[in-house]
Amino acid sequence: MPLRPARIGRVGVIGHPVAKTAVVAKAVTPGPAPIAKTAVVAAAVTPGRRRRI
Amino acid sequence: MTDTPLDQLGPVDYVVVEFPAGQSSFTGEMVDELIKLVDAGTIRVIDVLILTKNEDGSVDALELSDVPQLGELQKLEAELAELLAADDVEHLAAAMDPGSTAGVLIWENLWAAGFASAARRSGGQLIADGRIPIQAILASIEADVALAAQEV
Repeated sequence: MPLRPARIGRVGVIGHPVAKTAVVAKAVTPGPAPIAKTAVVAAAVTPGRRRRI
Repeated sequence: MTDTPLDQLGPVDYVVVEFPAGQSSFTGEMVDELIKLVDAGTIRVIDVLILTKNEDGSVDALELSDVPQLGELQKLEAELAELLAADDVEHLAAAMDPGSTAGVLIWENLWAAGFASAARRSGGQLIADGRIPIQAILASIEADVALAAQEV
């Protein structure tokens, strides 16, 4: 199906070719203990966690 | 499309969700969740396109209105603004693998519009924004754990 005429000849909003980002699902499901890894990420964004400086 | 004054426009984001060849299983769950966000006033959908990247690298674009049996998406289709231009299709498809299909979604974050407008009225200027990948959070935590282990 062709694009609608309104999309042709207009200036785009993206501006440049987009690069593929790393697939997020792979970050939280690899290795022998994916559930533990997911829990670690969740803990990192839990309210009240303080940074160590 | 809702006529929103520029000063009250919320941040606009996009995602490209790729479905590798033979790995999609559409149950309507994605549509349900999207409709929930719209109905709750969290987001306003600005544009939707469905892209297919052929094995030779060429790209076919499908308008939402060309999708048979739109179902719940019918009410979204009537509000779309057709923001994406033909150039954008090529730019977005650059991230796709040959043989895959992808949904492109552009939306306004209505939940952030009030805050963004208040920040502008207060003289603030957005100088940076972005998304933190889960991978980066993992790497940070693992480095933290490794450092703590060295200190023991």
